[in-house]
Amino acid sequence: MGKEKYEESSSDEEVNSSSDVVEASSDEEVESSSDEVEASSDDVESSEDESSSDNEKVEESDSSEDEVAPRNTVGDIPLVEWHKDEEHIGYDIKGRKIKKQPRKDKLASFIEGADDPKNWRKIYDEYNDEEIELTKDEIKIIQRVISGRTPHAEVNPYEDYVDWFEYEDKGHPLSNAPEPKRRFIPSKWEQKRVANLVRKIRAGLIKVSDQNKEEEHNVYSLWTDDTDSVENKKRGGYVPAPKPKLPGHEEAYNPPVEYIPTAEEINSYELMYEEDRPKFIPRRYLNYRSVPAYDKGVKESFDRCLDQYLCPRTRKKRINIDPESLKPKLPSRKDLRPYPTTCYLEYRGHMGPVNCISVDPSGQWLASGSTDGTARVWEIETGRCLKIWEVGEVARQICWNPSPDRPILAVVLEYDVLLLNSGMGDIDIQTKMKELLHISEPGATEDAGDSKSAVTWIQHEKHDGIRMKHFKAVSSIEWHFKGDYFTTVVPSGDSKAILLHQLSKKHSETPFRKLGIPVTAVFHPSKKKFFVATKKFVHVYDLSKVEKIQKLETGVREISSISIHPGGENIIVGSKEGKMCWFDLELSTRPYKTLKVHSKDITRVTFHRTYPLFASASDDCTAYVFHSTVYSDLNQNPLIVPLEILRGHKPEHGRGVLDCKYHPRQPWLFTAGADSIIKLYCH
Amino acid sequence: MPPKHYRAPGKKKEGNAAKYITRTKATKYLQVSLNTFRKLCILKGIFPRVPKKKFEGNHKTYYSMKDITFLAHEPLLEKLRQKRAHEKKVKKAKARKNKELAERLLNRMPTYKLDRLILERYPTFVDALRDLDDCLTMVHLFASLPAVEGERIQVKRIHNCRRLSQEWQAFISRTHSLRKTFISVKGIYYQAEVQGQKITWLTPHALQQVLTDDVDFNIMLTFLEFYETLLGFVNFKLYNSINVKYPPILDPRLEALAAELYALFRYVATGSTRKPAENQSISSTEEKKDSDEKMDTCVNESDLQLAQLQHQLPSNEPGALMQLLEDSNNDDDDVDQDTIECKTLFKNLKFFLSREVPREALLFIIPAFGGVVSWEGEGTPFEETDEDIAYQIVDRPTQGHKFLSRHYVQPQWVFDCVNARIILPADAYMVGMVPPPHLSPFVDDEAEGYMPEYAEAIKQLQATAKKNVMPLPDLDNQDLADPQNLIADGVMDRTQANEAAEERQKLQLLEKQYHDELKMEMSGITYSATLSNKKSENSGSEEMQHKDEVVVPVSTEKNDEDDRAKLYMSRKKRGLYEAIEISNQRKKDKVALLKERKRKALASKSG
Repeated sequence: MGKEKYEESSSDEEVNSSSDVVEASSDEEVESSSDEVEASSDDVESSEDESSSDNEKVEESDSSEDEVAPRNTVGDIPLVEWHKDEEHIGYDIKGRKIKKQPRKDKLASFIEGADDPKNWRKIYDEYNDEEIELTKDEIKIIQRVISGRTPHAEVNPYEDYVDWFEYEDKGHPLSNAPEPKRRFIPSKWEQKRVANLVRKIRAGLIKVSDQNKEEEHNVYSLWTDDTDSVENKKRGGYVPAPKPKLPGHEEAYNPPVEYIPTAEEINSYELMYEEDRPKFIPRRYLNYRSVPAYDKGVKESFDRCLDQYLCPRTRKKRINIDPESLKPKLPSRKDLRPYPTTCYLEYRGHMGPVNCISVDPSGQWLASGSTDGTARVWEIETGRCLKIWEVGEVARQICWNPSPDRPILAVVLEYDVLLLNSGMGDIDIQTKMKELLHISEPGATEDAGDSKSAVTWIQHEKHDGIRMKHFKAVSSIEWHFKGDYFTTVVPSGDSKAILLHQLSKKHSETPFRKLGIPVTAVFHPSKKKFFVATKKFVHVYDLSKVEKIQKLETGVREISSISIHPGGENIIVGSKEGKMCWFDLELSTRPYKTLKVHSKDITRVTFHRTYPLFASASDDCTAYVFHSTVYSDLNQNPLIVPLEILRGHKPEHGRGVLDCKYHPRQPWLFTAGADSIIKLYCH
Repeated sequence: MPPKHYRAPGKKKEGNAAKYITRTKATKYLQVSLNTFRKLCILKGIFPRVPKKKFEGNHKTYYSMKDITFLAHEPLLEKLRQKRAHEKKVKKAKARKNKELAERLLNRMPTYKLDRLILERYPTFVDALRDLDDCLTMVHLFASLPAVEGERIQVKRIHNCRRLSQEWQAFISRTHSLRKTFISVKGIYYQAEVQGQKITWLTPHALQQVLTDDVDFNIMLTFLEFYETLLGFVNFKLYNSINVKYPPILDPRLEALAAELYALFRYVATGSTRKPAENQSISSTEEKKDSDEKMDTCVNESDLQLAQLQHQLPSNEPGALMQLLEDSNNDDDDVDQDTIECKTLFKNLKFFLSREVPREALLFIIPAFGGVVSWEGEGTPFEETDEDIAYQIVDRPTQGHKFLSRHYVQPQWVFDCVNARIILPADAYMVGMVPPPHLSPFVDDEAEGYMPEYAEAIKQLQATAKKNVMPLPDLDNQDLADPQNLIADGVMDRTQANEAAEERQKLQLLEKQYHDELKMEMSGITYSATLSNKKSENSGSEEMQHKDEVVVPVSTEKNDEDDRAKLYMSRKKRGLYEAIEISNQRKKDKVALLKERKRKALASKSG
């Protein structure tokens, strides 16, 4: 609407401007009109006639001028040049010379012109050599031509169109219908539309003026006092955006020297991955004026915007605790003494890694087997090597008979198990031993083989003992606590993997069938129970009924060793990933506690027979000593306390401590290392 | 019996699928385009969530269903739809070459207001202040962008940003609530404290900003739209709190000279003193003020006149501004210690800014700490030749003509003074010198574990300044070099004291060794003999070395103890413990790196 208004006004302006033009032109005419006044007094009488004659003139104006023949007939020639020196300027129609008028000198003509008020109307016609005085009408015509109008004021260029032809009642194709009524009355719908608009404007639905432009500054007190007091509850879980990080010293334009990385460090950033690379490299400007504009300013602001509306927000608890408070409260180590702490003795002599050790039940002797193909017996207190057997093969495991009147050593070789007379004890025992370790040739073979013999009992010629030849490689051996029975494990033996042997009868049998690949097997220290460890499970068998009682799930990847608490209700299992599991058989088939002890394989776990101690040895060259109190009260959980880390062995071919055993009566620990040394740790 | 999680078609969803919705589905649900959805989310402050289970895949964005239903009820949604429909009409009119209609429609674009949204997002004023950091940073950034017609940002909005930012700065400066300042490479950081909220913002350097192409300005402008409105309301509330009319009316003369901030100061200063209980020293001002108050009633007609009147009054009498400022200082007595400290830092000091110094920043900071500042140019409070000027701030290689009565310092001096809250000696900041390192006030050096050299120097200066102000009766002015005293003063932290103690011990050891050697020489023992005797020697000097000897086994024992305890921890706790250890180690490494660099720098300097 405003626009329309504007246009109207502009058209008005045009009108105005045109009127201005008119005025200007009328101003010009003022002088001439003053002349006219004079002239009009002369022409008063003839004005009527003149106007009529003017009209006639108009009609034949163009032709009449042409009809008046020019006086001079020379034609269109350059008069000034050709007739310069002549007396005449040409010839009239009859051929007579037309004489030049006598020339006035310039001063005279100027004076004459100055005197004559009509001089401005006079024109000199060079062609006819005469002065013409223009009439007022002629002047008017000239003025009109100059201003671009029709020469005669009387001519109307926009005359009404006169239709010369007749159409009425002639059967013309235009509509014949009578003019409808609506052409003559105001439109009802227009009126309605206008009324509607008026109503809307009055109701403020349509804003005519541009008020919204004035409303830019309408701020008011948004937070009144009652909004402060009334706690508007926010939608659940509104998380305010985290504030951007505040700048540190390194972001200063002039940071301390130590915050500026050296050239090498900057170069080393190039080698980093894109995401690890520091985003901001501090630089130093020596004065404020040399600081340039930060070119990433807009981009960083944009990134912040993106983070604000695109990043999922969650509340995360930032734990701000002292790391010391995370540590469990352990009972003081002083209260749990005695336990092995320091290396007291070293037994040197083996030429290769010592695979296994065993302490005799009296606590006087220590037997060891090594990869150098020897088995040795040491005196514990002095470290003297008493006896050496050249077994010729790698001794995998060695085991004293737990019965004190049977000083027999069982040594596991590749396929064989040797039962050797250690030669300890008095003469009575020695004679008994000789009887025990004697085999009458034929009987032994028959005993063993039902279909295909798993084991053959042979007399060993060289070392005066028994050689039990297994059909496949043997991995471990364990004596029953009474010292008559023992078991060997043949991991790849399928259904004959677990063998039970009776020494007095020189008899073997395979009571357990259908197992996984067994790793090791042990007897219960007091009851008729038997534990077989496969890779992931420990199976508990009742020996009298020959049936499975329990299956313990260790949750470790591969079991390496197992040990039974002397009470018989608790088991520890060591695994090849360095974890140790404590089982309470009464509690559950799952571990009561799993300890991630070592960084490498656990090679051996072992309980002390009398003290509340156990230990683990591992390939990471450490042995851990633990305290473990098992309460007779069933409601109370066993107490396990890590006590000591024993170090001292050196790694050899990636192996560390290969075996550890407790002394039967003292809180001493023996460890056998891959560095071919046996160590004794005392309290 | 169907399985437990079976849901019959058309039945209600449960769990995460009911609580959350993906973005695509949300846009479908609201029947809006992604752009509109984005705009709505930005204005309403709705953000994605992390469901416990990402039921539609990991790579999707999830919104809380509650948020989306909340959006669905938003009147703004309807407005945006109307706007879209209106835009279509305009497009159609243009396509039909109906310019007149198009123009008329464009003039009548549906508009919306954001005040309700602000109140909804920030129910209390403190909430708004708490979230003001981003708002201020953004507004200040846009205020510094080039106001060029035809760029991607409307000139009008840039001017608006400029106005808002200056109003904010005027308020902060007037109430002396600026606390920390920091010149970084990115710009200048400011931290103010308003109603107990610490508000930090960044202003770019006063240089031409670069508009990069990898930025979607639509998103930024949507944010800016909200922030502009928010800051407008916040400014209104703040100005109201100090009894100043908002929006301020500025002296057009000063505005033309690009000294809006100064004009604002004057406006705020005069406005806030217009209180009934006021002792006015100058009678002429009183009269004018009365007339002002009368005119306030008929503000609408004579606003501009009034403004000019107000501005004429202080400019007529040079001391009037100071007088008014002081008056107003006296009457608000419920301020905390910090504010008083800030207010009096530059009290009774006159500053003059040279032409090349960034004027806006210093014009903001110096009055915020009680100083009076002038600059080169027209309309300034006082000229360069003023004898009372104490500090002239220059940033040029050399200063030609020097007044002996004043210090010529680099701009950094002001920032460092403000952060240290004392007047630092100006010697190090003189013209043409490399100023001492500029330190961030936002870093807790003790928590960080490393204290830059200059920070220590500033600490000592602060301590001496404190002593000068209120000398303790029982403490004589002892030398500061003694670490024990410093600890007593709380100047040096414990680590430093330990270091000093260790150093002393080492020195003693060396001394003793030297004496022993001297003795040996006296008694005529050869060097080879001493070597063989070394063991006994060690046992002899055990008293001295016992500390070191004990330390080593203690550390291994400690290690063992750690390992022992770690064994017994649950896996979760162990992980946490290890993570803490790693972060601590990282911190230590960082400090070690800094120390190493420092050592190298010193070595290269001396060598």
